[in-house]
Amino acid sequence: MAGIREQQKQATRERVLDAARDLFDQIGYEETTIRAIAVKAGVSVGSVFTTFDSKADILGQVMAERMAALTVELERVTPHLRGSACDRLSSLLAIHYDFQMRRPKLYLAYIAVSFAAAHDPEFLRMGTNPGLRAFIRDILEGAIARGELAADMDVQLAMETIISLYGFNYMRIADDFNAEALTNLMNRQLEQLCDGLRNSG
Amino acid sequence: MTFVPMKTLTSAEPSAPPLTSRGLAKQRTREKILQSARQPFNERGYEGATVRDIARAAGMSTGAVFASFADKAELFDEIMASDYRRLEEEMAQAIRAAGAVQEALLGVFGIAYRSHVHQLPMVCAAMSAGWTRHPNTSPRSREALKPIVGLIREALQQGVERGELASDTDVRLLRGIIWEVYISGYRAAVYEAWTADDMIGRLGDQLRIILAGARA
Repeated sequence: MAGIREQQKQATRERVLDAARDLFDQIGYEETTIRAIAVKAGVSVGSVFTTFDSKADILGQVMAERMAALTVELERVTPHLRGSACDRLSSLLAIHYDFQMRRPKLYLAYIAVSFAAAHDPEFLRMGTNPGLRAFIRDILEGAIARGELAADMDVQLAMETIISLYGFNYMRIADDFNAEALTNLMNRQLEQLCDGLRNSG
Repeated sequence: MTFVPMKTLTSAEPSAPPLTSRGLAKQRTREKILQSARQPFNERGYEGATVRDIARAAGMSTGAVFASFADKAELFDEIMASDYRRLEEEMAQAIRAAGAVQEALLGVFGIAYRSHVHQLPMVCAAMSAGWTRHPNTSPRSREALKPIVGLIREALQQGVERGELASDTDVRLLRGIIWEVYISGYRAAVYEAWTADDMIGRLGDQLRIILAGARA
């Protein structure tokens, strides 16, 4: 019995997340009401609230699902990355820009909520995606192992800095930057930063 | 690259025409609203603070608030702009006094961090608003951030002229990188409960790496 109820709950959750993802991206996060999400998902407003705490919670889970899917894809791709740390980081982040820019409005909403002062501690804030952090760390540590970067470099700080640059570049959406333009900017930043990582220490 | 959409800084400048007593009264009302609005923004964030909250804090009607400001966005922009404006001279001084680029930049950003660390919820509100507002506000905000962005450029150009940074340094690219890293310090401060010294320490480490890629 509990199994069926659990299955139903899971089905509701998926329908709500699908509906919310489309509405956030098409209409906008602020403009989308819980009621509209419930209607599109074909569930009651009450059942939305039994599964999610708030609209921000829904957005957080929409993004967490998307990023989990991206991570699975990347785990397949990253072992085949070649070249310098800079080249590998460039490929990794190009894939991210390409993926997120398929739904730019959704991602902008996510960043905005990420910055809002108060939200659930479980909300996966921008820059805290464990998948992205691990991939960047692996690339940097690989470069150290190959002797390309200094063994005593601060990997954590370098990773945080790369993630900051990656994230803040999305601001350029306001300048009509597309995935390609964002990737080009990121590549130039990475080259500058990698020069710095090689020369410092 | 911007995070605080702000209006062009035109109001309350010394070059403004002499005010009539009515104009002065209007000016005082504006100042009062600007002062009172900090608290609701700090407590409830940009989205959470309503014009009604702000009016109540100022002891006025919402109508009186709208007589002074077109909307909440304008009011918010003006607060953030005046915060930077207040620090500008001190920042310029820090650059003039600095012997090296790292020191100059840390001087500028240290002043900003030390000032903003007391109102982090408000800074967060600014960052959040910066991402959600209509893209059209973007050029306007850039106009308002010109002074501080100009100071960063000045610090970097000074480094090139002194032969500390390579003559072919892409100052614009470097400035963008440094700006983003500076802004990201606020996020760390909010979520990790950092002090201004923590923020300055981390930025210093980041600047060392970034500038190492541009040394002559």
